[in-house]
Amino acid sequence: MTESFHSSCIQGAKSVLSLARASLSHQLAGRGGSAHLGYPDTAYELPVAFGLTDLKVSTLADGEKVLDLAEGLLRNAPTLENALEAGAATLLAADVLGALSHKDGNPFSPPSVGFVPDSILRKLGIFMVDGTVPGVAVAIGRATDPAAAAAMVRQFQEIGLLVFLAGDVAQQMEKAGVKLGDDFKTFPLGPLPAVIHAVNFAVRAGLTFGGIGRGQTQAMYNYLSQRVKAFVCALGPMDEIGLAVIAGAMKAGFPVLADRNLPEIPGALLRSPAGEEMVRAGMEARGIKAKIVKVPIPIAFGPAYEGERIRKSDTYAEFGGGRGPAYELVVSAPLSEVRDKEIVVVGPDIPDMPKGGTLPLGIVVTVSGNRMQKDFESVLEQRIHRIVNYGEGTMHVAPRDTTWIRVSCEAQAKGFRLADLGMMLYAKMHADFENIVDRVSVTIHTREEDVQRGMAFAKTVYAERDARAKTLTDDTVEEFYSCTLCQSFAPNHVCIVAPERLGLCGAINWLDGKAGYEITPTGPNQPVMKGAVLDPVKGAWDGVNAFVREHSRNTVPGFNLYSIMDAPMTSCGCFECILALIPEANGVMAVNREFEGSETPCGMGFSTLAGSVGGGAQTPGFMGVGKHYLLSKRFLAAEGGLPRLVWMTKEMKEYLGADLAARAAEIGMPGLVDMIADETVAVTPEQLLLHLKKVGHPALSMPPLL
Amino acid sequence: MTVPLPKQAYPGRILPVTLPAGPGGTPVTVGGQNALSLAPEGEKPNAAAIGMEVRTGGGDLPPALAKAFECRATDPVSLAGACANDWGAQFLFLSLDGCHPDGGGQPVEEGARIVHEVLAAVSCPVIVGGCGEEETDAKLFPAVAESAGRPVFLSYADEKNYRLVGGAALAYGHGVVAWSPIDINMAKQANLLLSDLGVPPERILIDPLTGGLGYGLEYTYSIVERIRLAGLSGDAMLARPVLCHLGDAWKAREAVDASETSWGDAVLRGRRWEETTGWACLAAGADLLVFRHPGNVEAFREAAWR
Ligand code: SF4
Repeated sequence: MTESFHSSCIQGAKSVLSLARASLSHQLAGRGGSAHLGYPDTAYELPVAFGLTDLKVSTLADGEKVLDLAEGLLRNAPTLENALEAGAATLLAADVLGALSHKDGNPFSPPSVGFVPDSILRKLGIFMVDGTVPGVAVAIGRATDPAAAAAMVRQFQEIGLLVFLAGDVAQQMEKAGVKLGDDFKTFPLGPLPAVIHAVNFAVRAGLTFGGIGRGQTQAMYNYLSQRVKAFVCALGPMDEIGLAVIAGAMKAGFPVLADRNLPEIPGALLRSPAGEEMVRAGMEARGIKAKIVKVPIPIAFGPAYEGERIRKSDTYAEFGGGRGPAYELVVSAPLSEVRDKEIVVVGPDIPDMPKGGTLPLGIVVTVSGNRMQKDFESVLEQRIHRIVNYGEGTMHVAPRDTTWIRVSCEAQAKGFRLADLGMMLYAKMHADFENIVDRVSVTIHTREEDVQRGMAFAKTVYAERDARAKTLTDDTVEEFYSCTLCQSFAPNHVCIVAPERLGLCGAINWLDGKAGYEITPTGPNQPVMKGAVLDPVKGAWDGVNAFVREHSRNTVPGFNLYSIMDAPMTSCGCFECILALIPEANGVMAVNREFEGSETPCGMGFSTLAGSVGGGAQTPGFMGVGKHYLLSKRFLAAEGGLPRLVWMTKEMKEYLGADLAARAAEIGMPGLVDMIADETVAVTPEQLLLHLKKVGHPALSMPPLL
Repeated sequence: MTVPLPKQAYPGRILPVTLPAGPGGTPVTVGGQNALSLAPEGEKPNAAAIGMEVRTGGGDLPPALAKAFECRATDPVSLAGACANDWGAQFLFLSLDGCHPDGGGQPVEEGARIVHEVLAAVSCPVIVGGCGEEETDAKLFPAVAESAGRPVFLSYADEKNYRLVGGAALAYGHGVVAWSPIDINMAKQANLLLSDLGVPPERILIDPLTGGLGYGLEYTYSIVERIRLAGLSGDAMLARPVLCHLGDAWKAREAVDASETSWGDAVLRGRRWEETTGWACLAAGADLLVFRHPGNVEAFREAAWR
């Protein structure tokens, strides 16, 4: 079947070519070789010839040259390659034919528009560049079920696609009452060969918007296949000319979806029934995403509501938070397993609950996308917190299986139900992770047994993730990620985010950096190749240093990731806590941002310290860090690690609590946490030293820091 | 003994950019230098260009401007003519404030029509600024790009709307002012994004956001300087001319408030406030300055700093 398909494409190309020849010689006879050949209202002669060949075409004689060139592309052997070349020949010949037929303007009767002038190209092109018009759908042939085809075209219009129709489908759509014309970005072009006006439109887009010049054939093919997000819907049976057109589309890099029995060619020719299925297939073949303009839920939704708290008395429904089992999970799955926008709620819903009621809750968001990685699941999952808090009347606290969600009475009165919660997650996951997520579905369970079962599974996923996080070490990864978000106020500051040292604001870890880069490749998170190890203990790599030098614009020559004394990382201003040297104690202290006191062993409270540490300066002995860095194996590795910690605020000690104790146990010093002083024990170096001596803190016997 | 002056040589050079003029007008070319603005060394083929802003939509004017504009204040076409022909502006910055929903809410077509008329009335280069309201600008830029009879620069493209503005510029052959909020990385990103889109580098200007004197000018000063140093050090995405729009100088109370008599004459004060802001920007390295007060245009055109 494949061979006969190829040879039909080649036959079809020959037919188009001989049609063009016949029409050309007819006009040559009447008007002569020097008579004008071209379309009305364009700066690009015969656009297909302009973009794909280096022929200049302005006369009928020039047209002949284009046809000769097209003929030269034809080979008889029925291979895919020859079929595609025949496709190229078809495009060239059809453009000559098209121009010939426009001798006296649009040859077709309304609503068919024939050639689409440059003025419309420019107008629509802006919106294609802008993304408001996310792609182009070209429907050709004759629909077997006009109603289904009409529904499909309407769907294209809703998505905002530019639509071209060629062949009987144009009249069919008119009859079916589909709105046509400029305002609907839907252009019936004419009979089947008029589909060339969709192609020459795309070629002109490359010439106008792609900065491509005459005869830059390869650049043009690249533009057509990558930038013009067009796909072709081939409806009904196709004769040889139809198949030649299909070959032309494939040559241009436009995937073709056919509802008839044609041989499938992955990525180029796909089978799909006309209708919703074809819309989905086309969008996916081109990676087109419909923009969600407004999230259709009964409550307001946006960052303005993020800080809103819902008090117990205002709570209508409550999930989790110790009052029942609840969990949330984001998992990725192959494209074929996720139905986009599928939102399923299983079990009783908010309207079934009395005021103040509670229900178990299991939220599972399943995403898929070509650039989605398993590692990003946790990054997306953390976003659930913010998304739910964006709702006016929904509140979210705590991650994973400790999640706690409240829905206010006001939201309930507006008709808010769990499906709306699903919709919020669906819409925002798409919006926030546009570059990595192609499909999102949400399942919400509220029956105790379902939630328990789901939670058991979720726990295995969390455990896997934690295990994976443990294997992610600075040694096992090739690249770190930069963050230069804070350069807006600390102009030379670069955070290097490594698996074992998170950003000093505490908000960006290595995975966030990696995901951030995938989401915005030109954004503040860039991969930093580590390069050669300069010092494994202090944490110095030549790649890191080169990056820091360049991005601090030559002010910071480099730094040691694990040292506070020798070329430490610069500090911007939004560090979660500050480490400061206490010379008398041969150790360091840690004070967190929330600490309001001004008495610490180094003589300064957080805000005074912050003033002298921040601004992108590299200050040996002082450093801003993320709280969780204290738990890292690489914490001050250059200076001997955790045993250097001699003082920390009570609040921080409580915050890090069990994790800190575990880390101390890990290094064989289970009693260390209790030896670390806090503000209730010492606020001067003298008091501190006294305490350290009393408890026998290890720092005192370590090598001198100064 | 004579001590030789140290001379700094930079590997990079700022890309020259030409703002095209209408028939009979003088185009403006800026950039092309390979040194800082006040330093004695290097080549500086083009002096900074001095332009004036014309706003549509009326609105209250500071005393200094009301006095200078006289009756032209409400007619952008005649004000544009005065700026270009009488007051010596080398280029115009036409801000379509009148299309802002809070600034009169002129229909987009009206804005495009004014652009068309101003372009017919003056022959100097023109930069057209949107109204600053996202949804309106999304309609305004395409309409302006289409109706402008000759190439202009569209201002501005930022991280959010660069596709639309860049697309409009590509469709009709205009240039783009790339805006960023006093942030060198975002300035670079805006240029990267426009380049990815295919906007040719010689059709891009950088607007780093200019704070008025006392209202963020020092941040602007430092960012302009750093953008310039990065460009001269070889960062191609930042080696582009910088435009400082001094409009924010007129947002300072000191520049407009006539009720504070102890501060002296409000007319003089306003003008001086803008002037001082302008000098700082010029020293920092700005290649294009946009003024509102005619008197300042004269003062700056006479200063041959390059
Ligand atoms: S402190 Fe946080 S936001 Fe700032 S640069 Fe570092 S990682 Fe980025």
